[in-house]
Amino acid sequence: MAKSTLKNVRYAGMASCVPQRVVSNLIDCRPEQRAERERLVRNIGIELRPMAPEWQCFSDLAFEAAQTLIEKLEWSRDEIDALIIITQSADYVAPATAIILQDRLGLSNSTIAFDVNLGCSGYPFGLHLLGSMISAGGVRKGLLLVGDRCAQIGNPIFSDAATATALEFDSGAAPMYFDLNSDGSGHQAIIYPVGGHREPVALKHLIEGRERTVDLDLDGTAVLSFSTQRIPPAVEQLLDYARVEKSEVDYFLFHQANRMINETIRKKLELAPEKVPSSLRDFGNSSSASIPLTMTARLNQQLEGSQRLLMCGFGIGLSWGTCLVDIRDACFPDLIRA
Amino acid sequence: MKEEQFIADFLEATDFRDPVEVSLDSELRNLPEWDSLAALGVIVMFDMKYKKTVTGDHLDKAVQLRDLYKLVG
Repeated sequence: MAKSTLKNVRYAGMASCVPQRVVSNLIDCRPEQRAERERLVRNIGIELRPMAPEWQCFSDLAFEAAQTLIEKLEWSRDEIDALIIITQSADYVAPATAIILQDRLGLSNSTIAFDVNLGCSGYPFGLHLLGSMISAGGVRKGLLLVGDRCAQIGNPIFSDAATATALEFDSGAAPMYFDLNSDGSGHQAIIYPVGGHREPVALKHLIEGRERTVDLDLDGTAVLSFSTQRIPPAVEQLLDYARVEKSEVDYFLFHQANRMINETIRKKLELAPEKVPSSLRDFGNSSSASIPLTMTARLNQQLEGSQRLLMCGFGIGLSWGTCLVDIRDACFPDLIRA
Repeated sequence: MKEEQFIADFLEATDFRDPVEVSLDSELRNLPEWDSLAALGVIVMFDMKYKKTVTGDHLDKAVQLRDLYKLVG
């Protein structure tokens, strides 16, 4: 998509929720794996990962984040016109989780509610989608619930988290700037290959070993190349479009992929570490939640005195999006553990 | 680029746990910890130190360390 500007949309607040259970990549593994895990942790930068128990869904975490945010903002539930969920961890194949949460959160039947299937790139896309509905008129206040439940005990990368973001119509709001992109030729680089109509689940997929393909299939080198080649120029181009200098951005929030990817992007953009907060060590890669979760976990106090954030999500699709958002006077509740 | 410097960069990028003797004749597949993590480190090394784009395909086709050295150009 061409770069775009959204006007009259205010970033009103954001809350993040992670499961209480935390898994350690160094401790929660077989003793013979520990030395190998130390090397892994040193390089990917992920030591701890919030991981939901079996019974807990993404929507349970999203519910807690949304409840807290609505209460902190003192929003009336019947004035929330839209509820958009960006996740790849829906409660059911169908119906959409957003519609279930419309009822659970006590929102009115006139609420627009639907899900969007995006992963690590999702947050800027979600802000753009809900922001566009608000900017166009009609929707005055909306909630965007973003995140995934993708942690597995044996996979040292991924974690579980959900976030709620509130946007509202405000004719005095500073513009938001976006650049959103897709490259489906790389769709096999990160894929759940089984479970859709192309490859329905069969018994052979559930047997441990070579045939087991119900899990995420990730081509690490392809993802690293994509991220480190595509993202730095995308960030530069959005800054050019918005006519904003790097020094005018308070913080750069990148999807938390792994330390190798994130550090390469940061160095290519010549950004100081203190301008690029990381939550990788304590929270892992929480897919689409990682940008807002990093804001909550690493910046919450500072955010209330900040103005301009650059956010950039990238990953499964392949898909990548960058946005510049003014967060002045927004509300940021403390991290929720549920 | 001297061979010794390339080998030193390679060992730093791959972060092998145990010391390993490496020469340009070393076969990558025979290095005990030549794994996906090491591969990521090498791609980053080429990108950041040598300003060269190396992909997973390049690494798959490389047999000896010398094959990677040739990519420095």
